[in-house]
Amino acid sequence: MTNRPSRPGLRRAVRALALTPALVLLGTAGTAAADAPDTWQTGPSVSGLHVILLLGGVPLALFVLITLLVYLPSMRHGDGHRPGEAWHGQSEWFGGPRGGLEAADRTTRHAVTAASGPRAEGVRAEQDTQVGPGGTSGRW
Amino acid sequence: MAAGDAFSSAQRHEIDRAIRDAETLCRLEFSVFVGRCEGEARPFAERLHASLVAPSRSVLVLVDPASRLLEVVTGEDAHRVLDDSAVQLAVLTMQSAFAEGDLVGGITRGVHQLAEHARRPTTRHAG
Repeated sequence: MTNRPSRPGLRRAVRALALTPALVLLGTAGTAAADAPDTWQTGPSVSGLHVILLLGGVPLALFVLITLLVYLPSMRHGDGHRPGEAWHGQSEWFGGPRGGLEAADRTTRHAVTAASGPRAEGVRAEQDTQVGPGGTSGRW
Repeated sequence: MAAGDAFSSAQRHEIDRAIRDAETLCRLEFSVFVGRCEGEARPFAERLHASLVAPSRSVLVLVDPASRLLEVVTGEDAHRVLDDSAVQLAVLTMQSAFAEGDLVGGITRGVHQLAEHARRPTTRHAG
């Protein structure tokens, strides 16, 4: 209750004073007007159609070009293996080593036998006597 | 279609995604080889499996569409959570899809099934 302004007239005057610079600036500012500098060369006039072709046609051509570049390889490769179709392709290894089949060829025989042989670790060997490499085979 | 283009990019993407999803699901490494076996299928599959980055926790699925052969090799750690009977179920799923001519569908379903089984580890110390 002690915060109530005691003199409202004074507050109004202060407010008006604060707004005065902004009002003065707005009132005195004229419309912006500037000619092109004299040093600029005036080129030949460009038609609206030319502008549209340049600003619309070039991005459109780029769009078509990029789309073609993205889709052309898969269009050229066809649909891949179709259901029921005989296998005719080369080997493919998904999630294989970086070197592919060549890397597998470098794998020596002892690596395979070590992977499928008994474990040398004495502590875990007893626990894992029943568990070695596994898997199964099938035909269709 | 030119010879050598076994899968379209969409089919490759589908198989890659199935492998990624399976690895996320069960934390094992999955690898799928589709192509002709060099020599006997099982030793060839084991050789491929041994050349993987982490063979013990890897599962290799080998599909030879020309010879109609299918091999699944599980490493030691993978075998603990994915026993051979569970692998056999996934093999059956793949076989039935392959028999219908659906190579990509069989691979994706089989890999997913293997991961599903591996996610539920068997109780080893029961009783």
